[in-house]
Amino acid sequence: MDREQIAPHVEDIKRALDDKVSEDQIAGELENYLNVYRVPLDSAKRSIVRKYGGNPAGLQVGVQKKLAELAPNEPSVSLLARVVSVNPKEIQVNGNAKNILYGILGDDTATVPFTAWEVENLEMEKGDTVRVENAYTKEYRGQVQINFGNRTTISPESPEAVPPFTPGPATVRPAKVADLREGFGGVSMTVRILSLEEREVMVEGNKKMVYSGVMADETGKAQFTAWKDYGLKEGDVLKIEGGYIRTWRGIPQLNFDERAEVNIVDEDFPSMDDLKTSPRIWIEDLIERGGAVDTTVRGILVDVKEGSGLIYRCPECRRVLRKNACRIHGEVEGEADLRIKAVIDDGSGAITAIFGRELTEKFLNKSMDVCIDMAKEAMTHEVVRDDLADMLIAQPIEVQGNVTRDDFGIMMIVNSAEVLKIEVEKEAREMLDDLEGLT
Amino acid sequence: MIREVAWRVFAGEYNDSSYVYTEGGERAPSYVVTPLGARINRLLVVGVITEVENIATEEEPMWRARLEDSTGTFYISAGQYQPEAAQQLAKLEPPVFAAVMGKSRVYSPEEGTIYVSIRPEMVTKVSEDLRDFWVLEACKNLRERITAMKEAQQMDPLTKEGLIALGYKERLADGIVRAKQHYLDLEVDKYSGMLIDALRYLLPEFREQADVKEETVDEEKEDKETDVLKLIESLDKNGKGASWEDILKGAKKAGIKKDELEEIANELLDKGLVYEPVLGRMKKI
Ligand SMILES: [Zn+2]
Repeated sequence: MDREQIAPHVEDIKRALDDKVSEDQIAGELENYLNVYRVPLDSAKRSIVRKYGGNPAGLQVGVQKKLAELAPNEPSVSLLARVVSVNPKEIQVNGNAKNILYGILGDDTATVPFTAWEVENLEMEKGDTVRVENAYTKEYRGQVQINFGNRTTISPESPEAVPPFTPGPATVRPAKVADLREGFGGVSMTVRILSLEEREVMVEGNKKMVYSGVMADETGKAQFTAWKDYGLKEGDVLKIEGGYIRTWRGIPQLNFDERAEVNIVDEDFPSMDDLKTSPRIWIEDLIERGGAVDTTVRGILVDVKEGSGLIYRCPECRRVLRKNACRIHGEVEGEADLRIKAVIDDGSGAITAIFGRELTEKFLNKSMDVCIDMAKEAMTHEVVRDDLADMLIAQPIEVQGNVTRDDFGIMMIVNSAEVLKIEVEKEAREMLDDLEGLT
Repeated sequence: MIREVAWRVFAGEYNDSSYVYTEGGERAPSYVVTPLGARINRLLVVGVITEVENIATEEEPMWRARLEDSTGTFYISAGQYQPEAAQQLAKLEPPVFAAVMGKSRVYSPEEGTIYVSIRPEMVTKVSEDLRDFWVLEACKNLRERITAMKEAQQMDPLTKEGLIALGYKERLADGIVRAKQHYLDLEVDKYSGMLIDALRYLLPEFREQADVKEETVDEEKEDKETDVLKLIESLDKNGKGASWEDILKGAKKAGIKKDELEEIANELLDKGLVYEPVLGRMKKI
């Protein structure tokens, strides 16, 4: 994209930041995200607004997308599409009847279901071509859904504005797992299937079997979903052309269906055992990627945050209680649990790491019952957190788990963890030999 | 907002910094840029805490501490806005191995002169093993910056995109470009030497040699130390210590260069012959 094309988005970001940041600076940032890092425009805009302390909800200019490029949970999208089908429906909202419309939109890249929640003055008929501004997307059973809310505007367009639907991969984008990003289409890649499961989903009112699991190449692991039965087995090496990427909380997922070319191939590829190991990744790279499946991070634990140690959860919804009350269910008899919310920094970036009860007990070398007694004796739960802080802060640690992203950064639900013993001398000697060899 | 990374950087490089910038906007973070392009808002350092002192009152304390690594001294100060860190500092009994994580701070008594320090968020006692682990990490990062800076010196024109194309991350590429523009006569070799010394510090086979080196005292250096000590005493007119700028001017007249003066001043601090009542002033004990 050149300066002229991004100008309305620069304006939009500037407005969302209350004019606190100069146009030049925003333009420079945006070009950097788009051209150097190849982040999709929508995510780039939101990231920049957050970076300068603003709220991305203030963005108003949607990013016009093809339907195949839509990802779940996009807060503002603009579309040019044809109404493939549209039906009225009555639903119950808080005991009142409400009329909505649902149906399918199509363009030259895909067809996607939609729901219109505000139907007053909304006229849509099958075959209409429409311009949609400020719609939002959700995910329902693995599929993207478009929603029209009260901020959404819909206006008629001439039928030529939308080319007819053309199945099949458009542009081919060769990729490795580590390169996958939200919104990619036409992805071509070779991977080995590490695990596989079948499940039934509803698509446009019909039952359908889908096949999903974890796949990997030498750069990492990702989830995938096959929307058709290709007769896949664990261990197969697959060549996929024409897949597309959806993300869930930052974790990229490869999807492929009838439009993709999928072949089981017999070629040299890293073995199951090699691929099953969890690769160590720099936190900086995880932040750029957004999320990842089964990843290892090594760094120094620098903070044991509030809400770590002995906590009590709501028996209904598992939320953590504050002052013996659940945000939703009010005052309840809490159930004790242990966890650690830590910050790990590896010198390239920082990640929040959540350790569950089992790992917390392992670090404390104490059972939860002992912790409860300790807290009673000290008359505060904070003793457990204090113990954890004494034990863990400033320790080099290796953690492994899935990484997701939200507005506050990236987070790992830790699967396994270990305090590291590092062979400092050996590495120092190697580096020294290396450096002195140069001079 | 994405949490700022904690840089591992040696005191020798951090204290050489004379460039700070803010990324526009009211609450935008500020960064200290080191000569090798580390763009520091937060840092994590590990070394020996040699002094901890409350320089204010008991009711409203302001804790100052010095943390030494093998290349120099980090200056640390924590007041009422860092209650946890201040409390932890107060508990330490020097000398003790400690880790300090905090925000980069800058004190600029006049334009063109800046002193950097650390405002701690976390202070904790650690083992010698952790210190060694940190030194190794700091060495790895220093090596990357040295390599990046050497490449940057070869590039014409130097651009961030060019460095990214060579495989450097945006964070470092941006810092390198800024550093290259600010530090006009940068001597990368100084830091290559620092790196090699720091690595040797970790290896037992070099430990003895280092001790021997310290014992062979250079007589000329000793004379200059005496000169500087006299200078500090004579410039301390009001009992609050001599200002660094005055010491610098006086030393220049006596034919002692800035680098050399810094070394001598550190030596005097180490020997306990002078101390710093406040950052930027020195007083004979
Ligand atoms: Zn509840």
